[in-house]
Amino acid sequence: MADWRRHRILMVSDFFYPNFGGVESHIYYLSQCLLELGHKVVVMTHAYANRSGVRYMTGGLKVYYIPWKPFLMQNTLPTFYGTLPIIRNILIREKISLVHGHQAFSTLCHEALMHARTMGYKVVFTDHSLYGFADIGSIHMNKVLQFTLADVSQAICVSHTSKENTVLRSSLPPAKVFVIPNAVDTAMFTPAPERLKSDEIVIVVISRLVYRKGADLLVEVIPEVCRLFPQVRFIVGGDGPKRVRLEEMREKHSLQDRVEMLGAVPHARVRSVLISGHIFLNSSLTEAFCIAILEAASCGLLTVSTRVGGVPEVLPDDMVVLAEPDPVDMVRAIKKAIALLPRIDPQEMHARMKKLYDWRDVARRTEIVYDRALKCSNQNLLDRLSRYLSCGSWAGKLFCLVMIIDFLFWCLLKLLQPAADIEEVPDMVQFHHQDEEILMDDSQHQSSR
Amino acid sequence: MGDKQSGVHAKYDYIHDQESSPSPLDAHHVEVRRSGAKPVAACFFAALVSAYAFFAFYSKEKPNILAVWGIPLGALLMMKLCWRTVKKESVLIMPTFGVQLETHYRSGRIIRRFVPMGKILKPVLQECVTPVTCYWCLSLLLRDEEQLMLVFKEIRSPLKMLIPIWKALCAAADEGGGLEECGPDG
Repeated sequence: MADWRRHRILMVSDFFYPNFGGVESHIYYLSQCLLELGHKVVVMTHAYANRSGVRYMTGGLKVYYIPWKPFLMQNTLPTFYGTLPIIRNILIREKISLVHGHQAFSTLCHEALMHARTMGYKVVFTDHSLYGFADIGSIHMNKVLQFTLADVSQAICVSHTSKENTVLRSSLPPAKVFVIPNAVDTAMFTPAPERLKSDEIVIVVISRLVYRKGADLLVEVIPEVCRLFPQVRFIVGGDGPKRVRLEEMREKHSLQDRVEMLGAVPHARVRSVLISGHIFLNSSLTEAFCIAILEAASCGLLTVSTRVGGVPEVLPDDMVVLAEPDPVDMVRAIKKAIALLPRIDPQEMHARMKKLYDWRDVARRTEIVYDRALKCSNQNLLDRLSRYLSCGSWAGKLFCLVMIIDFLFWCLLKLLQPAADIEEVPDMVQFHHQDEEILMDDSQHQSSR
Repeated sequence: MGDKQSGVHAKYDYIHDQESSPSPLDAHHVEVRRSGAKPVAACFFAALVSAYAFFAFYSKEKPNILAVWGIPLGALLMMKLCWRTVKKESVLIMPTFGVQLETHYRSGRIIRRFVPMGKILKPVLQECVTPVTCYWCLSLLLRDEEQLMLVFKEIRSPLKMLIPIWKALCAAADEGGGLEECGPDG
């Protein structure tokens, strides 16, 4: 406790509430647990529809919804330097000590990390996804990642597979990368109070119906399973471009009474859908971690999943049946899972998940990464430029030019709006009684802790 | 009599006037400190635009007729900067009666807005976020209105100046709201 240090963290990502997903949940739960540990956490994301400005969430989590509209797949328009003024403003007014960016696909994250390094802040990056190496999109994304991570203090990946993938893509030294898996809110995802009857076996699928999530595999697997096992029926939750294919499959094989399509399922209703089934089916073609199978296991469902990415690292062998991303192997796995069902105790499975995965444990481990990042030495611009030069013969020079221009813009901003003119925000301390919210100085808060 | 507080911010001065007779009036003023740089720069830029337009129009080599629009444009720019330059903004609190919000421009123009006390639900301090900056502002939550009313329309004064004004408005609104709730029967 003597070495405990209160961090003031700025979480940055294009992906946050009101959207729901793995990255969004990760940022939210991690932030809540860090607030519980006594740190200050502020989240920065782009505006969603009418949600713009400052919002406060549970536990006093402050969120800046910057009025930069998303332009492609929820990502802010990349302007390189356009976000420098607002990011500088937030870093100074909130007295931030460390910037934590999430997700390689977030342009706001990359820009924030770049500007934070220019201004001398320590940065941590968490990668939530796996990417390829061969296609044009992946090549460009990997180059951008190489640029961002060339000067990052520490990095976090959600699985060992993800760490290997990130290290190869970004040429980051493995010693700088920590593996901290995601967790699940076991208080929210609890099994059904009464065990389901086993005369009819229900297989639940909840995912975005897109190529990456293996929706095409489902089109092959579902009819075969329905043919082999007359007692099985499916519940499919989720929406996406591949939904049409599933609807067509249902019509073609006359499975309307055995395959129920729910459409998009709000996050608050996911648990109620899960507990109506015995088996959870995940057909993703790539997953760095897969929080969905954690949620299913927490609800007491036996999981059948494709053996891709970081999935084999997530659940113990007796909670999951793995298969190759191939229809024949998946049908075999479902057959095995059906045979294993009588041995599954949902309550016991839930209790084990509570011990295995806890967001508070994730927060404590992330705290260690923050401590390590803050111990990194401060480097001036010239030292940092040498790291960018090693990114490639042409790319390295381009990256250096980008960083030099960023530095010059920062110097200009310091002249136009000195840091002394940006007033610091007093910390808001929430008490249990709603009316007793007061403003405190940082020094008062430290002494009370 | 006034209680002048200056030096809290490089750009603004806060003045608090409180009169008790003949009728109580609580006046809060935020004055913009005169900066020589901005009007000089603006006039220089406007003169430059006008000069370029004049030169382009009367050029012997290739007179540009369209450049004649540069002259009134430069003049408009100078007029706008002078007309729109704010001198001070004031909040005059007349207990149980209402609040008058005033914006004084250097040209002498004054814009006044009056809000009856019963109309004010709550004064609020909030953070405004733009694509390039973030600042504090003081607004009034009004009964039966969806939009907040900004107390200071033009000036972005610091939080330390807004807090005493906010407290005074809260006190006046609570007092005025209590009397309003009594209704016609007492």
